[in-house]
Amino acid sequence: MRSRRACLSFVSFLLVCWLMAPANADEIAERARKLHFSSIVLDTHDDTTQRFFSKDFDIAKRNADGSIDIPRMREGGMNAIFFSIWIDGRTLGPPAIQKALDQIDAVHENVRKNSKDMMFCRTADDVRRSHAQGKIAALIGVEGGHMIGNDIRMVRIFGDLGVRYMTLSHFYNDEWADSSTDKPAHNGLTDYGKHIVREMNRQGIMVDISHVSDKTFYDALEVSKAPLIASHSSCRALCSHVRDMSDDMIKALAAKGGVIQINYEVSFIDQAYKDASDKLSGGVVAIFDQLKKECGDDEECLGKKMNEMHDKAVAEGKLPHVSWERIIDHIDHAVKLVGADHVGLGSDFDGASMPEGMEDASKLPKITEALMRKGYKDEDIRKILGGNLLRVMEQNEKVSHELQAQ
Amino acid sequence: MISVLMRVATVALGGLLVTTGLAGDSISEKARKLHFSSIVVDTHDDTTQRMLDPKFDVGSRQPMGSIDIPRMREGGLGAIFFSIWIPSKVTGPAAVQKALEQIDAVREQVRKHPKDLVLAATAEQIRQAHKNGKIAALMGVEGGHMINSDLGVLRRYAGLGVRYVTLTHSGNDEWADSSTDKAAHNGLTDFGRNVVREMNRLGVMVDISHVSDKTFYDALEVSRAPLLASHSSCRAICDAPRNMTDQMMKDLAAKGGVMQINYHVGFLSQEFRNAEKADPKINEAIAEEVTKRCSGDSNEGCMLIEGDRITREYVAKGALPRVEYTKIIEHIDHAVKVAGIDHVGLGSDFDGANMPYGMEDATMLPKITVALLEKGYSEGDVEKILGQNTLRLMTDVERVSRELNAKK
Repeated sequence: MRSRRACLSFVSFLLVCWLMAPANADEIAERARKLHFSSIVLDTHDDTTQRFFSKDFDIAKRNADGSIDIPRMREGGMNAIFFSIWIDGRTLGPPAIQKALDQIDAVHENVRKNSKDMMFCRTADDVRRSHAQGKIAALIGVEGGHMIGNDIRMVRIFGDLGVRYMTLSHFYNDEWADSSTDKPAHNGLTDYGKHIVREMNRQGIMVDISHVSDKTFYDALEVSKAPLIASHSSCRALCSHVRDMSDDMIKALAAKGGVIQINYEVSFIDQAYKDASDKLSGGVVAIFDQLKKECGDDEECLGKKMNEMHDKAVAEGKLPHVSWERIIDHIDHAVKLVGADHVGLGSDFDGASMPEGMEDASKLPKITEALMRKGYKDEDIRKILGGNLLRVMEQNEKVSHELQAQ
Repeated sequence: MISVLMRVATVALGGLLVTTGLAGDSISEKARKLHFSSIVVDTHDDTTQRMLDPKFDVGSRQPMGSIDIPRMREGGLGAIFFSIWIPSKVTGPAAVQKALEQIDAVREQVRKHPKDLVLAATAEQIRQAHKNGKIAALMGVEGGHMINSDLGVLRRYAGLGVRYVTLTHSGNDEWADSSTDKAAHNGLTDFGRNVVREMNRLGVMVDISHVSDKTFYDALEVSRAPLLASHSSCRAICDAPRNMTDQMMKDLAAKGGVMQINYHVGFLSQEFRNAEKADPKINEAIAEEVTKRCSGDSNEGCMLIEGDRITREYVAKGALPRVEYTKIIEHIDHAVKVAGIDHVGLGSDFDGANMPYGMEDATMLPKITVALLEKGYSEGDVEKILGQNTLRLMTDVERVSRELNAKK
């Protein structure tokens, strides 16, 4: 009996599949397209900023290389972007401040010169307004606490200039926070580092814990009055990289209202690639150190060379192919762990090696379609695409207002 | 101690004079009404350096210096340009960081005193602040060296609210000659001209105080917007290179600019200047004493305050002549006669220079209104000098900025 019924239901399942499949696929693709292009699609980490200093780069034109420009953002429905302010973590003091200032200026200038397509945004409401006007919302995140030159006043200055998150460290420890890819020097956050987190709360600058050591993460989580973000980190359970977050960390982040923005970098999303890369060249930091010698202070060169190395090694079979679908695995793992309210997108476009099928912003609709095929509700997909980050921004804004009123 | 007591006594006496003066006299009553209904703008105050001291609070009455909220209220000072200043010898990224720190210090004081202060960046915002009974806080960067030859830095200063940049301080910078340094660039370099053009586009006023005469004429030629001399007086009365010749004043005015009279005794009084020159040891001794009292690095706030205080000790000893505040009126009157009533304003240099007797701090400002009315100035003319000329200049600079941005 049992086997006959099971068999019957299996047959009817096949029948249904056969009847439904083609129409269903088209219908999903169409629904996904509609959903994607009506949503706020927000990416919290793009290293395009460093390209602004190259004479060959124009964000208004379709570029043959890289992942981000206005035409490709339009094509991929990406309508909110955090331009990352980044310089090497060993540049400290006043030169770090000046270079950061130059990059902040470059973002403002590029937005001003493309004001028909882009709008500079400081708040979640600004982003919604920008979206309503059919523009791309441009925001700024500072990737590394070393850029404040160990001077808390620069936290406020950056905030006043429109910076909306700051990653507490980059690859190296800074003066007051340990990095995940350096030898611990401060046992997490120093007292000054805690003070900086509080000041960020006061200014409404989101505390970004990508890149930081696990201890720094837990310290920041304890000190911060506002929810944290991981602007570009993936899941350690799927790919054991220190730049990714453990399940416990993701749970702790979510419990306080935070959000993890999945990074697409191949060595953070694919264990086989990460293992092969470690063996071949010692991993991402070692590669970076080596390229730094070739590129000096040319930040755009670093990103370009890193990708050239990756492409060559994959072509030669020294590193495995990684499919864009790994991104979906990471999103799905995080959602299963903490729910759809705490996961988002932080590509690392123009600053990392992208998996095949996610070469640039034009490919983003695939994420929406894949999540829909996995059975995600429209509402949840919208949250992942950008809604969650806007919620965290708003909470940070609220905390800031409260603290300033005191 | 003696000097402190003396100073307190002088201040108290000054206040008394104003009060008693106001009671009976009809000009004083008229002056009081006029002064306290006018928008009084001061384009140059070095109070910013004091703000770096965590103990300093602009919200409470200070025993030293010239500027704080209570004394601005008492003197009817309605809009103040806090000067962002570091010495010319500090250059490169360090200069940028230090300038940003001072910008932050101003913004923090405004954040801490929302009932009294409001950050303003336009003439309209100053008018709005006045309507709301608040003091408008603005910022000027006193020295082009602080942009570190980087237009991006200039733009971000503008983004943070800076509304004028003085092209140099007392030393030449990389692209402009100072009036108190040996000429190195024959005025403005090509980059310097680009700085002026970018300031025009941004709506940041081009300030020609401190610059060499040639730099002034170069800036006048390049700038699409009228210029500002944020704190300079008349060379015809006191022959200091920091002051403007009659011809410069006329040329500034012909293009719609405004010169803001500086109250520093060394710029007001030829007699004081002669005495300083006759015995250079006095200034050396003052500098030495200042350094002693203000130990430690970048203690500019202390140095400025102590400089004024110690200079007064020398005046008390009779080593330097005593200069009265009426000298300010002489300079205003001369400038009005030469450049016209639409081209003169106030740029005290409070907290950054040696003030004349009777103009020790912001509470004394109504005396200027009294003196000008007594000289026969009309109320409308007095209002122009007190602030309306500066507001007009700002409005013109804002219009040019809009036009240049619309062009692209």
